[in-house]
Amino acid sequence: MLAKTVEKILLEFNPQKRNLLPVLKNINSVFGYVSAKDAQKVADYFSLPLALIFQTASFYDEIKTKKSSAIVIQVCSSSNCAVNGAFNLVREIEIFLKIKAGDDNNLKIKLEEISCLGHCGEGPIMLVNGKKYERVNVSELYKILEEWLGN
Amino acid sequence: MKNELKIITKDWDKLNPLRIEDYIAIGGYQSLEKFISKLKPSEIIAEIKESQLAGRGGAGFLMGEKLAQVAEEKGTKYFICNLDESEPGTYKDRAIVDHNPHLLLEGIILCSLAIGAEKAFIYLNGRYEEQREILAQAIQQARKKYFLGKNIFQSDYKLSIELFSGAGAYICGEETALINSLEGNRGEPKLKPPYPVKAGLFGCPTVINNAETIANIPWIIKNSGEKYKEIGSISSPGSKLFILGGVVKNKGLIEAQTGITLRELIYDFGGGLLSGKEFWFAQLGGSSGRLLLEDELDIKLDFNKKNQYPLGSGSVLVVDKTVDIYDLMLSWASFFRRESCGKCVPCREGTFRLWGIIKRLRDREISQRDKEAMEDILWTLNNTTFCPLGKFSATAIQDAITKLGKDIFKKNN
Ligand SMILES: Cc1cc2nc3c(=O)[nH]c(=O)nc-3n(C[C@H](O)[C@H](O)[C@H](O)COP(=O)(O)O)c2cc1C
Ligand code: SF4
Ligand code: FES
Repeated sequence: MLAKTVEKILLEFNPQKRNLLPVLKNINSVFGYVSAKDAQKVADYFSLPLALIFQTASFYDEIKTKKSSAIVIQVCSSSNCAVNGAFNLVREIEIFLKIKAGDDNNLKIKLEEISCLGHCGEGPIMLVNGKKYERVNVSELYKILEEWLGN
Repeated sequence: MKNELKIITKDWDKLNPLRIEDYIAIGGYQSLEKFISKLKPSEIIAEIKESQLAGRGGAGFLMGEKLAQVAEEKGTKYFICNLDESEPGTYKDRAIVDHNPHLLLEGIILCSLAIGAEKAFIYLNGRYEEQREILAQAIQQARKKYFLGKNIFQSDYKLSIELFSGAGAYICGEETALINSLEGNRGEPKLKPPYPVKAGLFGCPTVINNAETIANIPWIIKNSGEKYKEIGSISSPGSKLFILGGVVKNKGLIEAQTGITLRELIYDFGGGLLSGKEFWFAQLGGSSGRLLLEDELDIKLDFNKKNQYPLGSGSVLVVDKTVDIYDLMLSWASFFRRESCGKCVPCREGTFRLWGIIKRLRDREISQRDKEAMEDILWTLNNTTFCPLGKFSATAIQDAITKLGKDIFKKNN
């Protein structure tokens, strides 16, 4: 299959504003984020100002306007996971990897808290680059980190 | 264990969600057939009004009233199924799709045709990718059987259903924010009035209902509104889906009649607490819900407007004394800080400051000044924000301070 380009994605949609979010989601899922260059292409295609494209894009958690880190660790910190020790995981990771949850400026690795994924009975839930881990305790946490980071 | 009620969860063990035949075999789409062959739209609406079905998305507005208002309007209209479901601890709407997507579709078709809409939308939580796939297949199958499309059951009724996925924003479950999002804008709430029933999607009259509310409709059309009204609580009758979480024995989804008490839900349906756990409090309605102590568990779970403890999404978190309350408070604060849409200053700033203070509280670094600021912030969130999210963000923390009060600040003394 040919590589997907932004142009190809755009042609799958009519240039009506209600298709803007689906288009942005699509670009995000193929390229990992919506770059300024791609946003300009979207703006041209929809005949909308660039600022408006970013207005919508920047609102939604799932749409990134910046290249994301190579490894993204996400910990659900919503109530059910929190009572099962989610914040212990966050603290462990922060200390072990010397990073802060929410810090966006590390190209190698990023840690963020996320909201409930609806798997509350199996918490705490953690995702690494989208891969889901359930009932993570501290010893398992180190195994998972090792798996992704090497020793 | 008590008998569970089976209106929405009926025959879930017999159904393959990807096979329309399974649903048809248990009497599925018969309500739609009954409507097409025998009933007028106004009769459907009368039936739903009679049932007293109240919205299950949180606000508890009577569904029949909304449908009736939009049915009277002329021109293009829309019906929207709200499946954004992002309240922490809540996955009842997803469960409906996972087990019986056609029940939801039949409900959507009935409501849409009743109000005279030819187009309906399902607004899905952005993370519900599997559910989107299930619904896409179900829509295809329904179209092949002429339950959807141009000539439903060979009649002149027509309807198409479009799936639309959100992109990670709790506020988009709020109906006006949802409309903004569907239109391609930032998902910020709008000023009401005008209400969506007057000026909704693309400015047209629009009915928005929660998926669970809609899933009751086929039963009501089949068995009558009068029968539905006999179930459960007088003020808001019918079935309700609950999600139990925390230290209960039976975690997960429960269907029961409205009006059962919280104690019955936890101890009879949920099997009580895990052995060795001592009850501290329960949170009713997800992270935006209130906290109840042991002596408050006899409240009735329904949508009576006078309820001191709103049922909200119907999820219940049971918390025992070993839980680190600071982690839980941080969880609430952190959730609302992330999910504040930023449109109004009291909420944007308030949720951020509150989060900072709770973090210091957790790290035992809270000062007298923080404690005073916290009171101010909670008041502001409670009284001045543009939409209910601001109030939600203050609810549980306020309760933690006033009800668990002494315990909360103790470690700092
Ligand atoms: C912050 C906020 C979040 C909401 N989230 C949802 C949601 O995820 N799902 C939902 O059905 N209703 C949600 N609602 C309620 C909707 O605004 C609306 O009242 C509901 O969809 C109407 O349907 P119903 O009458 O069937 O409950 C939310 C409201 C607020 C203020
Ligand atoms: S209260 Fe919060 S979520 Fe609601 S409009 Fe204001 S900033 Fe947005
Ligand atoms: S609270 Fe973490 S998955 Fe629901």
